[in-house]
Amino acid sequence: MKRRGKVWAWIIIIIGILYFFLPLLATFLFSLRAKLGVLSFQAYVNVFNDPKFIVSFLSSILWATLTIVVGILLFVPTAYWVRLRVPKARTAVEFITLIPFVVPVIVYVFGLVRTYSRPPLLIVNNPGLLIAAYTILSMPYMYRAVDIGLRSIDVRTLTEAAQSLGAGWGTVLFRVVIPNIRVAILNGAFLSFAIVIGEYILAQYLAKPAFAPYMAVLMQNKAYEPAALAVISFALTWACMGIISLFGRGQQGQLAGPR
Amino acid sequence: MAFLEINNVNKSYGTDTLAVEDFNLQVEAGELVSFLGPSGCGKTTTLRMVAGFEMPTSGYIVINGKDVTNVPPNRRNVGMVFQAYALFPNMTVAGNIGFGMRIAKKPSGEIKPRVEEMLHLIHMDGFGDRYPYQLSGGQQQRVALARALALSPSILLLDEPLSALDAKIRVALRSEIRAIQQELGITTVYVTHDQEEALSISDRVVVMYKGRMEQVGAPFEIYNFPKTEFVANFVGTLNAVSAEVADPAASIVHIEGQQLQTASEIGHMHTGDKVMVAIRPERLSFSQDGKKANLIDCKIENITFLGSIVRIQIIIGKSKFYMDTFNNPFLELPKIGDHVEITCSREAVLVITPEQVVA
Repeated sequence: MKRRGKVWAWIIIIIGILYFFLPLLATFLFSLRAKLGVLSFQAYVNVFNDPKFIVSFLSSILWATLTIVVGILLFVPTAYWVRLRVPKARTAVEFITLIPFVVPVIVYVFGLVRTYSRPPLLIVNNPGLLIAAYTILSMPYMYRAVDIGLRSIDVRTLTEAAQSLGAGWGTVLFRVVIPNIRVAILNGAFLSFAIVIGEYILAQYLAKPAFAPYMAVLMQNKAYEPAALAVISFALTWACMGIISLFGRGQQGQLAGPR
Repeated sequence: MAFLEINNVNKSYGTDTLAVEDFNLQVEAGELVSFLGPSGCGKTTTLRMVAGFEMPTSGYIVINGKDVTNVPPNRRNVGMVFQAYALFPNMTVAGNIGFGMRIAKKPSGEIKPRVEEMLHLIHMDGFGDRYPYQLSGGQQQRVALARALALSPSILLLDEPLSALDAKIRVALRSEIRAIQQELGITTVYVTHDQEEALSISDRVVVMYKGRMEQVGAPFEIYNFPKTEFVANFVGTLNAVSAEVADPAASIVHIEGQQLQTASEIGHMHTGDKVMVAIRPERLSFSQDGKKANLIDCKIENITFLGSIVRIQIIIGKSKFYMDTFNNPFLELPKIGDHVEITCSREAVLVITPEQVVA
């Protein structure tokens, strides 16, 4: 009985792996066929040699980095303060953080364009608006990741312990709280990164260079290069996951406390 | 002037909940005072007001001659040990102990020897490089104590520091805490709901109930001369039964129709007044031949062996009593169902009115 269960488990795992990896493998193999009759990395060379790729890719990296910085500065202190001082507001704050899930991005972007393309706030061309919009879009992921991290430590007691040792709010936040939720912050950061890298509508309608609009244009004109781009974005995501697990190594079960 | 003064302190949450009411206490330098009481009695709230984590609604707190009522916790120079240890998981033991000194920007040449000194004080030399998760609960709490003491605080506050530990470690660690406190001569306030802990390590105990101080005194005084019904019931095991004043002039009360003489002053009462009578189990004994005062006829209902003592449950009329006797392998105990005579001194019979224990 036990053996049969094990066999089924393996069958399900294998089906899962095939379901996930076969399309990826097919895409990868397809991306190698840019030269007739031989397997080569020509499509990748074409992509990397395209100045538009460099601009859009680096732009997306920049938007993502700035979004992460703003998100951390905004959501870590907020989640910390809500947990510590106004726990009754948690439900309301959680609801607010979920709003980006229910408002379609296209509706959101039209709202932004209508509001900020006329005086007194004519800032629709300012990259700051794009960063602000990305920050809102990634809010559910960043806030929740940080909140889960804070839930895993005894925030109140650690804060009070640090205060009784002479620490002010800044010291408590940067030397006690943030180091103890760094994996949660990293999770939030990489989720935000993935969202910004793959986001199409905001960049398209706010007319800013970005990776997703570039990929969409490329797909309309080329065959092998979009496949190469898909593989590159997968590799990028995996690299991010690798970094998370690298930083998170040894974190499991490291929480001290009564036992 | 006392080292710590808590003057007319009240703490309320909203308009209805009064957590601490009219709290007044003077703690001398080097003294260890425990706040003892059940959950929700206001002991931790009072301690947190001394630490600066809560603001009194009214009243003021003075530490070493300075009014600290409005001083934030990080500027009070108060060492605090928490029930949940609260060691910083991202720092080593040495990092935890040296944290306060690094915040105070002490030179590293000063921090390292101080950390070593603290590790030696808590008998954990060589543990500096370990992380909190690599330590047992008792070790973590000792590190928390060292961390609180490293900055040489003016006062040490301990909030149920042993509650999360198992019984044996609790007993060992409480002696260690007391020894360290005496060695350093640091003024200490200790919060606990464990009466044995409070009685064993304190110079004085403050028994609290429903936000109020019920009694303040040395452990011996609190145990032997409780001033209120709550203290009498809460501290130690107590037989408390309904009784009736039989002869106020002769200090005689009746329990279940049997006569007992008390040392409590009941001369102002009237015959027939309803009172409570309280007797500690260890003050009862089997009557010896020839003794005639304060004899009570009773029936043995149960006998429980508790190691060093034997607890005998007896029935007097409809009332149940406990009687403790020291364990002795050659002790001949009566059997369950036997009728025996027990006795106690008149000083052991405390008369309690709803307001207070009659002296």
